Amino acid sequence: MVRSALASKQRIGQGPKAGAAYVPAASVAIATLLSSLPIISANGWYPDFAFLMLIGWRLRRSDVWPSWWAAPLGLLNDLASGDPLGLSVTIWTVSMLALDLVDRRTIWRDYWIEWAFAALLILFYQAAQWQVAAWMGARVPFAFMLPSISISIAAFPVAAWLVGRVDHWRLGQK
Amino acid sequence: MAAPRPGWSRRAQYGLFFSFIAAIAGVAVGLILLAFSIAAPNQFKDLRGAALDATSPITAALYQVSATAEGLASGAGNYWDAASQNAQLRRERDLMREQLVTARAILQENRQLKAALQLRERTPGAVASGRLVGSSFQSPRRFAILSAGSSDGVRIGMPVRAARGLIGRTVDVGAFASRVLLISDRSSIVPARLLRTGQPVICQGRGDGSIELKPLEVGRNPFRPGDIVITSGTGGLYPPLVPIARVTRISGDNAIALPLADPGAVSFAIAERAYEPKAMAPLTDHAEELR
Repeated sequence: MVRSALASKQRIGQGPKAGAAYVPAASVAIATLLSSLPIISANGWYPDFAFLMLIGWRLRRSDVWPSWWAAPLGLLNDLASGDPLGLSVTIWTVSMLALDLVDRRTIWRDYWIEWAFAALLILFYQAAQWQVAAWMGARVPFAFMLPSISISIAAFPVAAWLVGRVDHWRLGQK
Repeated sequence: MAAPRPGWSRRAQYGLFFSFIAAIAGVAVGLILLAFSIAAPNQFKDLRGAALDATSPITAALYQVSATAEGLASGAGNYWDAASQNAQLRRERDLMREQLVTARAILQENRQLKAALQLRERTPGAVASGRLVGSSFQSPRRFAILSAGSSDGVRIGMPVRAARGLIGRTVDVGAFASRVLLISDRSSIVPARLLRTGQPVICQGRGDGSIELKPLEVGRNPFRPGDIVITSGTGGLYPPLVPIARVTRISGDNAIALPLADPGAVSFAIAERAYEPKAMAPLTDHAEELR
């Protein structure tokens, strides 16, 4: 009794931050705006930070946002990154629905399985980008996409780690 | 980690259901937008221009930071072996001086010949200059952002070049920034010719920063590593005699080249009027053209 009364009062004011429900979406929007950094990429091998954050959050928590939030976030990404309008809107929302389905079907999960899901989604996103680029008159051999795909897949654990840190911060956990 | 089960709460059940319906609607809207974007790329040009303007302050502000850091790094490197660089630069200057005299003579001769032929050509004026401040990160397309927009006179479809060579052409224009389709993009095709022989070639981007050169005439592969290609002015969009790329290797009948103006390294780029105004007509308003 006495001991608990004397214990540190750290837990007071340690609840979720104000607006914690919107922190995940805001972090995806910030990752989207990374594309306006003054870095000129000659070969396009940077990972897609915004998509990695999006699936990182969704794989961490199933209730992080209603699925349809991916559509406006995708629109923001299309506008900021110069992709054809509608590409990220479609692919991001489909990814959310696919992960809803995965949540229903999987019995157990660990880091490797989540990484595998992330890899599949990254492959799907980049293949869609490649196909849309081909329709718009920029058909490149698919082999040119492989470095970019592998770099994005390799960067997923970093995004997942970052998502974990932000999640702890927004919920006021240690 | 199963899907959240709403339990017996009717409100929670409805919430989940409507969220699902909204997501399906989101996919449908996305597909429609995408279909429009592919079928009519100019459909959303105002929206895209506004988005460019909205992000341009971030890009321009951070550009100073990265430029300073880069300048410090390369400046220190230059200081390191100043003596040997000095000697090399002096040699190059002497060589250049000889070539300059020859070039002047050729220029004069050229002027006389043109006057004799009464060849009339429109000198493409520079419309605006800006910095290349950003690019698409991860995508099969190759775009960059130029820090000059419609308030500086830039229009969609203008050729963009740097001092070292051709950069590309504008595809989206906001008030303060514009998006440039780089010559290394797959959908960029530039009519060109080989500087050494004058043979006409086609430059098509490969999407990974390099360019594929195809000869227009069938026959022996005309390329040699180290060859320079320049624009030919055919088609009327790009002005002639702008350096494009240097051949790095030969592959089959074609050659792979690297752009002379590396978009990541050039500091300033210039947007110019189309060499022949008609080349831009299908892309811009007629009111602009008649002016």
